[in-house]
Amino acid sequence: MARQTHLLRVNGREHEILAEPNRTLLEVVRDDLRLTGAKEGCGTGDCGACTMLVDGRIVTSCLMLWPEAGGHEVRTIEGLADGSALHPLQRAFIEHGAVQCGFCIPGMILAGVATLERTPGATRAEIRDGIAGNLCRCTGYQKIVDAIESVAQAPAGRD
Amino acid sequence: MTTIERPRYRAVGEREPRLEGLHKVTGRSVYAADVQLPGMLHARLVLSPHPHARITALDTEAALGHPGVVAVVTADDLARAARDGSNPARGASNRADALFADREVVFAGQPVAAVLGESYAAAEEGAELVHVEYEMLPAVLDMEAAMEPDSPLARSPVSDIDHTEEDAHVTIDVRSEEAEGRATNIASHVSFERGDLDEGFARADFTVERSYRAALVHQGYIEPHATVAAYDAATGEVSVWTSTQGQFHVRDTLMRLFKLPETKLRVVGCELGGGFGGKMIQSATVATACALVAERPVKLVFTRREDLLAATPTPGSVVRLRSGITSEGDLTALEATVIYDAGAFPGAPAAVGSLLISSFYRWPNLRTDGYEVLTNHVSVGAIRAPGIHNITHALEQQIDAMARGVGLDPADVRLRNAARTGDLMASGKPFPSIGMAETIEAAAAHPIWTRRDAARARSTETTKVGVGLAVSGWLGGLQPASCELMLNSDGTLNAVVGVMDISGVNTSFAQIVAEELAIPVESVSVNTGDTRTAPYAGIAAGSKTTITMGRALREAAIDVREQMFAIAADQLEANPADMVLAEGEVQVAGSPDRALTFRRLAAITTGFGSLYTPIVGKGAISARVQAPGFTAQLAELEVDTVSGNITLTRWATVQDAGYAINPLSVEGQMEGGTGMGIGIGLSEEYLYDDEGHLRNAGLLDYRMPTAADTPDIDSVIVEVPSEEGPYGARGVGEPSITAGGAAIANAIHDALGVRVAEMPATPERVLRALGRLAD
Repeated sequence: MARQTHLLRVNGREHEILAEPNRTLLEVVRDDLRLTGAKEGCGTGDCGACTMLVDGRIVTSCLMLWPEAGGHEVRTIEGLADGSALHPLQRAFIEHGAVQCGFCIPGMILAGVATLERTPGATRAEIRDGIAGNLCRCTGYQKIVDAIESVAQAPAGRD
Repeated sequence: MTTIERPRYRAVGEREPRLEGLHKVTGRSVYAADVQLPGMLHARLVLSPHPHARITALDTEAALGHPGVVAVVTADDLARAARDGSNPARGASNRADALFADREVVFAGQPVAAVLGESYAAAEEGAELVHVEYEMLPAVLDMEAAMEPDSPLARSPVSDIDHTEEDAHVTIDVRSEEAEGRATNIASHVSFERGDLDEGFARADFTVERSYRAALVHQGYIEPHATVAAYDAATGEVSVWTSTQGQFHVRDTLMRLFKLPETKLRVVGCELGGGFGGKMIQSATVATACALVAERPVKLVFTRREDLLAATPTPGSVVRLRSGITSEGDLTALEATVIYDAGAFPGAPAAVGSLLISSFYRWPNLRTDGYEVLTNHVSVGAIRAPGIHNITHALEQQIDAMARGVGLDPADVRLRNAARTGDLMASGKPFPSIGMAETIEAAAAHPIWTRRDAARARSTETTKVGVGLAVSGWLGGLQPASCELMLNSDGTLNAVVGVMDISGVNTSFAQIVAEELAIPVESVSVNTGDTRTAPYAGIAAGSKTTITMGRALREAAIDVREQMFAIAADQLEANPADMVLAEGEVQVAGSPDRALTFRRLAAITTGFGSLYTPIVGKGAISARVQAPGFTAQLAELEVDTVSGNITLTRWATVQDAGYAINPLSVEGQMEGGTGMGIGIGLSEEYLYDDEGHLRNAGLLDYRMPTAADTPDIDSVIVEVPSEEGPYGARGVGEPSITAGGAAIANAIHDALGVRVAEMPATPERVLRALGRLAD
């Protein structure tokens, strides 16, 4: 398939990408940009490990062709911390023991970010619904919900 | 947490966030699929569409002619991979050795070939061009029918079954007798007997006879199997980056299959995206074979479909029980038949399942027969406490039914008959220290249990509320372990271990070193070396990592301490026996001003002309006594009697951790196993059609619980010390999965008054049990 060139904006940086247009956003971000935080767990949009934020909305990047992301703001787990200052959800995941094998965690944290942006002060039930598209097999979700809830209940803004 | 007084330590016993958490929340951790090498080829698999067939033709020409395809590797090509020209696939008796089907395919999804391409797309397109002709053979799909003497065979006979992998998960003295000559599908049979069954049933006031089924389920790790393997023809070096629970297990298997000297073989166990017993070696053998044939680096990452079809999920089972109880609540007799569907290769846990179903309670009279049956389903592997959620689903419903039959509290009946330390298991070997009774007591005191009448009172015409209790446990495995611990120039310490950290063990190891050397946890770095840099470690499986490698770390820290004391005593002109540790210093007891800092000790043991040797501690242990862990779980649920749908409303998981070195991690293991048990109990199931094809090879239809399906889980840690575990710790990874399905089944009975004897308890099965759907 003939390659195409598009500009892809990822974590605030613009990249000129030359690639086959039938490759997914996940493939291009992982293999070409070497940002491997997003994972492929199923390739069919069912597990959420490949979650990225596109214009702030949750996208399963294994189902999006990369040219579709052109002109949009793509955010991956690598772009969530501000230098060495972690996003409050990243810190909460560590402190609450929400991280085990870690494979679902980049997607899970981004799903948590989107949930809290959509529903500030979300309840546990709203948090569970917000991350229901992201499978985790290690935690029974208990400490993940605890972590997100701790941020939802914290005073607004980055601490 | 229990209110029992815990022993006081300074570093162990604290809730310690994971050392590598920062890497994981920022996407920095490197998993096998993240590895990318120059010149790397991509492998795609060709899978058999048929459950049982003979390969009559395998034509790779069209695939090889496709642009970007570099090679096609089949069973015949494996002789080019092995350094001595032997073919490891010929007559392979176990799944790990059978890289590709060798003339006969024995399950739908079995790999037949791998296509190597310059790009993933080229390999994928090439895989579709591999032309395979099959001659159908009768497929054996029902484990009970497969046991009949006139059943067709699931596969051509093989001999010499290798038990290495199943031994990694549990250590038992029982070795099942293997069927002679393989003229049957029964791969192994084990039996236990005690007392006199007739006498036992004669003494019973109430008898229950039931049959239970459990589905074949997948471990459900979110990271599919993945390996990058590289072979350098110039140096003969083979390097393998892989997702495995046991890098030394991978090394030993690759050495054996391909006759590779271990001096030239380096296996790097990458960050592991979940294993649960299922991540041993599946992709590493195939990828390494491909790399050896192609003499190029090769990446093989299973798709989710391939992982469901062709990895090693865990067996379905049929358990038939007849048992008796007196009106006082004494169990009198158990007659059990336990059948596991091993799929196409041996490896089902018939021995341990039969042993434990016979040993959790004090049966004065028993007879248990366990069978491992070959079929043309996918071959199975371990899951947390392999085989035990199956037998628990049967046994704990049976206990519940018997208690209700004689009008007694099911928790009381369990407590009255529970095995205690020193009781003989059905094998005749005594239980080491166990906390089964303490675990049941804690569950019986939990509000979900004590206030179950109030919960039931919420029931309406169409919503019925029930509470169920189930108890189970796991013996755990044993394997030697070794490690190194080195003093750094700045007074901190580096540990090197070769065991995979799949459950937060490295953090616990740091706590143990910090404890023994009286330093902060942050002053200890625990590093997972590869198979050429780390001392030997077993597989991270069998709930044995903390109790074995943790002891090795403790020994290494004590070794470091003794070396420090000897050097400091010499420098300070004191007796080594008078040395004490305090805040990063070695001091003379009672004279804190006579001291050497760790930093100073490092300097005088590493500088030019130093009189002392560098401080390197060694820990090496061989564990002898298992540390079984028990769990008791409480499910409160609502059943919609119109739809059959079940909503879990409350949950408690009680577990004996011996001593929780890191309660945060222990709770994590309890909650994770509980979540898996909930999936097994409610929704997870391999669904085959009548011809033996898997109908739900994807995560939309193979339904694992989401956050919205899972209730809050209250973790209650009980601490009954083990004999040999560090600080009394027990293995905690596996027991938590065992009791969930049974607790749900008992809660359904509590709500509806009928039993769902088949797991998972799908809405369809609930409605059938209610008589609202025909069979």
